[in-house]
Amino acid sequence: MTHNHDFISLPTAFFIVLTVSMVSTIFLLYKKVPVHLVRYHIGLLSLPPIVALWGLLANNRTVMVGPWRFDSLSWLLALFVLTIGLIVQRYSVRYLFGDRDYRKYFALLTFTTYADTLAWISNDLRLLLVCWGVTLLGLTLLIRLHKEWQVARKAAASAGRLFLISWLILLVAVIWMAQTTGQWQLSIVLEKNNLAQLPSWERTCINLLLIIAMFIPSAQFPFQRWLLDSVVAPTPVSAVMHAGIVNAGGLLFTRFAPIFSGEAAQIFLLVVSGFSVLLGTGIMLVHVDYKRQLVGSTIAQMGFMLIQCALGAYLAAVIHALLHGLFKASLFLQAGSAVQHREIHSFKSRQIPNLWVITGVILALMTGIGYLLTSGGEGYPIISSFILGWSMLFAWIGLVAFGNGRTGRFAGLTFLAGALLMFTYIHKSLDSLLHETILSGMNPSCPAIIWVLFLLLGGTAVGLWLAHKRSSTAFTIIYLWLVHLGEPHKDVVESHPTYLAKSLFYRGESK
Amino acid sequence: MTTTLARPLNWENETEERGLTIHEIVKAASEIIAPLGPISQFAARSPWASLEGQSFEQMVRRFKDRCDIELLPNDSVLQSAWNHGEMDVEFLEEGLQLWLEQHDFELSHTDAVQFCRTALTQGPPSSELTALPEVKSLAKRLSDFNFHLHTRKTVKPLSQCFEQKEGDGKFRDLNRHMIKWCKLFLDESQAVWSMPNREQGFYQAWKRMACLDPALSLEARKQIKHLPNEADIALVEALSQLGISDSETQEYLEAHLLALPGWAGMMLWRTQQQIKDSSLLTDYLAIRISMELILLKPHFPLSKQGREEQVRLEPLIAAWIHWGNVPIDKWHQLSDVEQKARLNLARQFDKIVRNRLWLEAWEKTYEKQLMEQILSKQELVSEPNKPSLAQFVFCIDVRSEPFRRKLEQTEGVETFGAAGFYGLPIETCKLEQKHSHPSLPVMSKPQFKVMEYLPESQYKPFHERIEAVHSLKGTFKSMKHNLLASLLLPEVSGPWLSMQTLARTFIPRSTGRTFKKLLDTWVMKPDVRLTLDRMEQSKSELPIGFSEEEKVQYVEQALITMGLTDHFAPLVVICGHGSRSINNPYAASLDCGACGGTSSAFNARVLAELCNFPHVRQSLKARGILIPEETIFAAAEHITTLDELHWEYLPKLSAKAEEAFTCIQAVLPQVSEQASAERISKLPNLKFNRKNPKEEAERHSEDWSEIRPEWGLAGNAAFVIGERSLTEECNLEGRVFLHNYNWIKDKNGSLLASIIAGPATVSQWINLQYYASAVAPHYYGSGNKATQTVTAGIGVMQGNASDLLSGLPWQSVMQSDETIYHAPIRLLVVIQAPTEYVERLLKHDRTFQQKVDNGWLRLASIDPEGNWKSWS
Repeated sequence: MTHNHDFISLPTAFFIVLTVSMVSTIFLLYKKVPVHLVRYHIGLLSLPPIVALWGLLANNRTVMVGPWRFDSLSWLLALFVLTIGLIVQRYSVRYLFGDRDYRKYFALLTFTTYADTLAWISNDLRLLLVCWGVTLLGLTLLIRLHKEWQVARKAAASAGRLFLISWLILLVAVIWMAQTTGQWQLSIVLEKNNLAQLPSWERTCINLLLIIAMFIPSAQFPFQRWLLDSVVAPTPVSAVMHAGIVNAGGLLFTRFAPIFSGEAAQIFLLVVSGFSVLLGTGIMLVHVDYKRQLVGSTIAQMGFMLIQCALGAYLAAVIHALLHGLFKASLFLQAGSAVQHREIHSFKSRQIPNLWVITGVILALMTGIGYLLTSGGEGYPIISSFILGWSMLFAWIGLVAFGNGRTGRFAGLTFLAGALLMFTYIHKSLDSLLHETILSGMNPSCPAIIWVLFLLLGGTAVGLWLAHKRSSTAFTIIYLWLVHLGEPHKDVVESHPTYLAKSLFYRGESK
Repeated sequence: MTTTLARPLNWENETEERGLTIHEIVKAASEIIAPLGPISQFAARSPWASLEGQSFEQMVRRFKDRCDIELLPNDSVLQSAWNHGEMDVEFLEEGLQLWLEQHDFELSHTDAVQFCRTALTQGPPSSELTALPEVKSLAKRLSDFNFHLHTRKTVKPLSQCFEQKEGDGKFRDLNRHMIKWCKLFLDESQAVWSMPNREQGFYQAWKRMACLDPALSLEARKQIKHLPNEADIALVEALSQLGISDSETQEYLEAHLLALPGWAGMMLWRTQQQIKDSSLLTDYLAIRISMELILLKPHFPLSKQGREEQVRLEPLIAAWIHWGNVPIDKWHQLSDVEQKARLNLARQFDKIVRNRLWLEAWEKTYEKQLMEQILSKQELVSEPNKPSLAQFVFCIDVRSEPFRRKLEQTEGVETFGAAGFYGLPIETCKLEQKHSHPSLPVMSKPQFKVMEYLPESQYKPFHERIEAVHSLKGTFKSMKHNLLASLLLPEVSGPWLSMQTLARTFIPRSTGRTFKKLLDTWVMKPDVRLTLDRMEQSKSELPIGFSEEEKVQYVEQALITMGLTDHFAPLVVICGHGSRSINNPYAASLDCGACGGTSSAFNARVLAELCNFPHVRQSLKARGILIPEETIFAAAEHITTLDELHWEYLPKLSAKAEEAFTCIQAVLPQVSEQASAERISKLPNLKFNRKNPKEEAERHSEDWSEIRPEWGLAGNAAFVIGERSLTEECNLEGRVFLHNYNWIKDKNGSLLASIIAGPATVSQWINLQYYASAVAPHYYGSGNKATQTVTAGIGVMQGNASDLLSGLPWQSVMQSDETIYHAPIRLLVVIQAPTEYVERLLKHDRTFQQKVDNGWLRLASIDPEGNWKSWS
């Protein structure tokens, strides 16, 4: 443990600002406090992410403060979760203005995001359990925000039940771990000589328990129900849920990496997550509600994140989890823009510019191979360079090959270059920040890689084949199954939101 | 209102079904719902446009009986309007007396008045009172003594009756299945895997697929397979198997349409758009009722429901105990006749009557206040003798009034009001858009098409630039939907998106403006031209542009309608209006209602350009409208979210017009600031930025988290047809539609008739749409914006799935979850004309007379001597 006075002040400052903004949110709960003071609350709320950013930039070694662990991963996760929380709360100031549960909403959101943050920086397993439990509870209450609405109540109840199961499984796994190793401190539990005390069958069991506990918040098959039903929650709550909470699995496995490496349980993880990727993508393809498409996409993305974990690419998984979180939060917050204005152009009707497409293929191959060579050429990078090459080709065709005239191609090329530069920059900087903190797991076995490639390519091929056989019975059956699996449970659908018609007043009154 | 004589509980459907084909019955049944178009062209529609043959109260009863929704403002709303000083107790008393006069009870007048008066002002009896054993035994005794009051039971879907009896969610299941199939079938968002076989029609596609649907039991799937191949046969067969008699068929279909009025309304809208979809609603009902049959089959035979229902006497007795001061023991002393009379009174003076009387008192109070305001300001009005500098023509929209009031403070500025489509029955097609928009009130069909175009040399580079922007969006979307690319997309676009998210969240105003500026700089939209001259083309489509004769005719008509036929100022500005908001599925609901939910700037520009054609002016001269050569017509767009005027079309100005233009430009910033200050103070705010209303207005328009970018037409209450001098000095608080009208120039009353048939109907529809959204926010409004999801690219649903929602969202009529902002009162039409004019109008226009008689709007007039007359 390092005891450096330059750094000890940062965690302290961090806890002080957390406490201050927590107090402000409790203060805001009182009806007598004028509601426009919410802006000061937002101001205070922006302090913790600033301190976390500072911590991330200034800190380059691990500091333990009591039961808390401050390393670059903790700082980064804290920054991420707190920023999402801040954005969403700022957004809600106007978006939920006039809501019956306005004050309660801010309090719940603050509690949930803070508990989530604390879960990822705690080194004590008991603390982690408590904080994670509070996060799940907070999330359930947020889904239940409009409790007058029976659909919301039911959705929250079913999500809450699943969360409780997930939490209890996690509890069992953690107690088992602590009992066998005789330690509650995560960093000590994970030390090599302590792990060695674990017999391999116990280790496998613990791994399986952890996997199942994490399948539930990540909405992996067969536990996708709660996420599909939680579309009833107000848009900003969905943003927090999809950005900051569903990715817990990836973060937990990264934290627990040593106990997790090179285990048979990973095969299980690979198979189920692989299926979830296909299922999620399928749901996204067939459903027509904007938010339901986003839910499908989240299931698929979380499946991919867990595949990355299973392949030992923890760094890639964390990067994916964070960027996906920001991506999904943005898409949810702009859910109001999803109305079709019938002007989206389609380049499919135009003739294929062969020369440009061939150039794209060559370029994509070069990108893929170049990436593979620079990143070591083994294990997970094979998959990631494959995806990179494919996406490169895809983007090239959409932006450049089908670009309209010189202007169009020039603009397309600029977009592509900008995206590529940003991608490289973000990956490089996150890599340099995290590579010391995050263990890279053992290189996965060859069959695992082949399985993932088979899954992704097979899925794509089947998709293409089906898309051309739209009138076949096979397509109809798969289509209907995907629709069916993506539909909400029958108890959480109501044809008209009748709860709204109650207890109204006219102007002036009830201010 | 004088139509309450109709016996309320005996609403009968008198259509003679025998001999009608099923298509005709479906068509007749469809009048109960309103067509619902896509949300991107949000149309102002009355939900009850086809029901105006009945009185408003009858409609309210009908919906109460059938769907259990209350379509009158509820007690707490009325109570708080009362507390707010918007109700005069005199009018309530007046309404009560009238009601008692119209109903004959064998009861002393004092007793009846006392009972009713208390019932109006005090809360209802508690449920415990109704449940008292004494009350129950009395009720039993009375009913034994032949006090049978019967009421005809409304026809409800069998699955609904079954659900109520058995608690098994059959009706909900049926709704859920229908929602699913409708949204998959109607999808326009180009889901990558869209529903197969859609081109074969709804019923065929459903039948081919539903027999494979894993959401249904095997038995059900087998039955679907054996359904008839034709929708109409299937419908008839399903109805007969369910045991629906011919005479009940229409009512039964109506009940099913009312279960999901939004999806059914969208089907109805589609049937009106294209011939190939003309049987869509039959398909919908065939699927729905076949499905109902299949869901209910395992539970056959169903217990028969009676056609009549006995009225429970307990609540009536409790009402007399509570309001009439007639305790149980006193009942025994009453004679049979009196007991019967009392029960009858309690039954007839029910909640609907009480709330209707309250509503009318509210409306009459508003009328009185408006009358006092208008009449008291009459002396102040000075005749404008000075030649004016500039004349502005605005849309009748209620948001024009505050802006006009501020603008008129400038010396030499005159303003006019006319419906914002300016009488042009056109379909507009903007540059780079494949589809055209019918830019006129939804009840009429377009007759011409006007397109924007550019010369080829300008078009090509512009097209390339705009395609580049689209290709970015298109590529993003197609990557999102590709299995492999979608896995990388978050990592590539995540950083960019999060930068945008941060900026939009913390500095919404500047971010929005910067994005807009960047986009404008890149796109550099050149000045477009319009296809105003007739072009040769195939006969099947709408003619493009106007012939010379048509130009003259439409300009003349427009100028006469807006009352601008002489004393032209050097600069005449035709103003359309549009709104600016982002991340708002309801953006179109804030645009011009007379243009079918889009900005009316296009129509304004078309009219202004037509007015500047020399040959048009020449021909007008021959018809007695002399437009001086120095007069120039320009067009502008009134941005209602920002209170700004943006020049849309500015031709070369004459010297005098130039002078006027400079003067106007100088005052506009001030006008817009004052207008913003007045408007922003009405929006719920957090005291963030009270000092600078202008910036606050800009934020409202650019903030992606803003749930109420503006109030839209909320608060609308009256429609004044008359000279501007009538209302010039009044602050009408943005609640009044203003249409110019000078009866002296309208000897035969045809102008008034056309204003009533067009703009007044549009306003009435807007008014009823807001009314319905405020009183039944869950049924006729579209619920809370925060829990909506856009579906199929055409509309919104609540939560996980729901009916396709119509009407305005909760936040557009409510200032908070508890408090209504929009006063739900019916439109008051005020006509400035001699009494004979109004009489003539009512005599000739039966539809309008029906609206007035049946209480779908209220009518008043002001004669030349300044006497106010109420016609309702």
